[in-house]
Amino acid sequence: MEFTRKFTDKLSVEQVKIELLNTAYGNGHTFLAQLDPRTLFIWYTFFGIVPWFIHQESILIGMFIFMVITTITAKVSPLIIFILCLGLLGQGGYMLIVAMFFGGDWSILLPLLVLTLKLSVISLASISVFCSMTPEKLSNGLLKIGVPGQVSFSIAYGYRMLPTLIEEYHHVFQSFRLRGKAPNKHGFLYIRSIIYFGKIAVLSFYPLLLSTSKRARTTVEALETKGSFYGFNHPQVKKLKLIDMKFGRKDIYFLIGSCFYVILLFTI
Amino acid sequence: MKHQIEINNVTFQYPGAENNVLDNASLTIDEGEFVAIIGGNGSGKSTLCKLINGLIPHYYVGDFEGEVTVNGINTLESKVASLSEHVGYVYQDFENQLVSPKVIEDACFAPLHYGYTDYLDRATEALKKVGLYDVKDAFIWQLSGGQKHLLALASILSLSPSIIIMDEPIAQLDPTHAKDIYKILKELHAEGTTIIVIEHHTEFIASFADQVVLMDKGSVVWKKKVKEAFLDVELLMKHQIYPPQVTQAAFYLKKSEINLAGQQPSQQKKEFLPITLTESQYFFQKHQLDSTNLDFPIRKKEREKVVQFSDVSFGYKTLTREKMQILDGIDLTIYKGDHIALVGNNGAGKSTLMRLVTGLIKPDSGSIIVNGKNISKTPPEHLAEKVTYIYQNPEQMFIDDSVEKDVSFYMKSRKVPGYKNIVNQILKQFDLVDLQERDSRLLSGGQQRRASLAIGMGMDPELMLLDEPTANLDIGTRKHITSLLGNLKDQLDAVMIATHDMQLACSFANRIIVMHEGAIIHDGDRDSVFQNQALLTRAGLESPQILNLAQMLGMKDIYTVDQFVDAYLKKEAKDGVYA
Repeated sequence: MEFTRKFTDKLSVEQVKIELLNTAYGNGHTFLAQLDPRTLFIWYTFFGIVPWFIHQESILIGMFIFMVITTITAKVSPLIIFILCLGLLGQGGYMLIVAMFFGGDWSILLPLLVLTLKLSVISLASISVFCSMTPEKLSNGLLKIGVPGQVSFSIAYGYRMLPTLIEEYHHVFQSFRLRGKAPNKHGFLYIRSIIYFGKIAVLSFYPLLLSTSKRARTTVEALETKGSFYGFNHPQVKKLKLIDMKFGRKDIYFLIGSCFYVILLFTI
Repeated sequence: MKHQIEINNVTFQYPGAENNVLDNASLTIDEGEFVAIIGGNGSGKSTLCKLINGLIPHYYVGDFEGEVTVNGINTLESKVASLSEHVGYVYQDFENQLVSPKVIEDACFAPLHYGYTDYLDRATEALKKVGLYDVKDAFIWQLSGGQKHLLALASILSLSPSIIIMDEPIAQLDPTHAKDIYKILKELHAEGTTIIVIEHHTEFIASFADQVVLMDKGSVVWKKKVKEAFLDVELLMKHQIYPPQVTQAAFYLKKSEINLAGQQPSQQKKEFLPITLTESQYFFQKHQLDSTNLDFPIRKKEREKVVQFSDVSFGYKTLTREKMQILDGIDLTIYKGDHIALVGNNGAGKSTLMRLVTGLIKPDSGSIIVNGKNISKTPPEHLAEKVTYIYQNPEQMFIDDSVEKDVSFYMKSRKVPGYKNIVNQILKQFDLVDLQERDSRLLSGGQQRRASLAIGMGMDPELMLLDEPTANLDIGTRKHITSLLGNLKDQLDAVMIATHDMQLACSFANRIIVMHEGAIIHDGDRDSVFQNQALLTRAGLESPQILNLAQMLGMKDIYTVDQFVDAYLKKEAKDGVYA
């Protein structure tokens, strides 16, 4: 009871918003954040795909250690790590239960651990990379590798809208609370309260959708007047936008270093 | 001479609409003019402005007739993107106009996308012009509402357009910030930019604009010089537009003098009505009038307490994980029978103070007792049975898909017997009977406001808290809402209104609380607030113009135009003098 109260205090809407925004925009000074987005793409293509095809535990453990280091240097928010752990444990846990249910025995534990290890490597690689790029950087990186302007812009804009959407959702949620009737008793295991809050959490999305679509009208018009359509279709604008994007020494060191480490893992 | 903007006989109908939103509208605007467009809600003001940057007909596909040329370009043959280099448009819902996360990036956006290599210099210059250069690296969600508005302006200035359109530039601003934005517009105007504003505040028009365009039912009624425009008081009032208070007072006096004396007043006065305070000096006589007696309720000491704040502080964590203190050591008691106006600058902590009473947010320290219950230990659902909070943005209160359902939501979830009758009564009280089936989000500003008030009344509260109930409304609607609020007084134990609208504060409240930087710096009534110049300056407040006029003429206890006219006439009748 006391624990849940403390936990919910920490997990206020405000707090979630702060964590999300810091994850997106707050880590501009870490080593990974100073790299060119293309370096990160190349790096991620390797560590996001290759682990699927590797079955040697020693290599996977080696990669896992490397990922833990990059995650630490990327200063990822504890909330994200917590959610990740929860996901991995849940995933592994439910597979174990299902396997047991259908007559498996403890011998499946080892393959499950290997699978969890693979998933961890991939997830940590994603987290290190995407927490190290601001949405702007990600969007410019994508633009550089040939993704259309509309798509790359949408990614950056989606993030820009995030705090507004959370706030709006919060307001609607509060309106439901101010006008609704909370259950008089919490019920067994808080079941009544959970149902009550679960219900308004879902209902709050509808008004949010309607008001957001109304807002979007102005945004689309504004984009038109700000020449975004012109910009998406003119190569010189793209060039102007990406003029600062360059491979530097750090990029080369990082890629070569990663290569050596992987080769080392395979040769041991 | 060629006009900069020519709108010739334009008729336009939105797809699916029944009536023409523009009906044979014609207007010319010359380079370097400062034009204010006035007219009731729904008279086609915004639509007219969207003609100028080509959003109509290129973006809104409706039935379009007529011709518009801007800087010699026919908008029909041009694109929105190329017109936007001539015309900058700041929306009423300017927040949705900001598309980048950082201030400097948003200012760069337009020139960058038009391919200007000097985009950074343009953005820097624009930010300097509006005074946002110091926060250029901030994220836009860290900005205040006023700063966001300035950023929206800077983001279009970076293209250096020759025409700037602002749709209700000061609707949500306190008087000090409102003046700031008009000063910036004035500077831009001095540099030769054509400025077009859609504006309800005639006092600002009188001080800043030089041309006025009156619109009604999709047509341009006239375009006049600002001095002549406000002479037509009767016509304006018919269109629900109220000229500056000094003009109204002068107009009524002139009319009454005719009745009183049965003869024309002197020739010199005939063609002249003052439109600013400075001009009024020559119109009105300096008077030393007796105080008029007002039946103003005097606060008694022993009354029932509704809400009690004791040493309340509140803050929240900002993006940089620092704590931002909003309220600091607030002590306040709200009694039965209090009609409070809560005034102060944007960001003084007014909304936070009210939201604390609802229990949606809890104080960091101190206690708030509502009807004997400590709010920190009571869920908001229970407090809602005593206290209703009306949001500044009515849309945040609409949680169902029709007005009627929204109003009955509270009673329905509590299974109040016979709630349908109560709902019908409330709908009637707020003129919503014809609109009850409509989705509240699609109503006009004034209708939305009425719906939000009706939702509040549907909760049968003892205390009602209203956040800026008259913001974003044209003056006619504002008067309507003000009178509706007046009727609420008898139905409720206490009412508290946070507002920048000093005319509302003067006519509504029997207690005025002034907040500044998270503290209550004054708790009194309209006399104690508006006679105290030091207080007004510190809190960034402006007295209603009529009060300034009365003070200038040495009259006391005048808060409305009617009071002024009465007091003035009484004196004149007694002395028997005409100027």
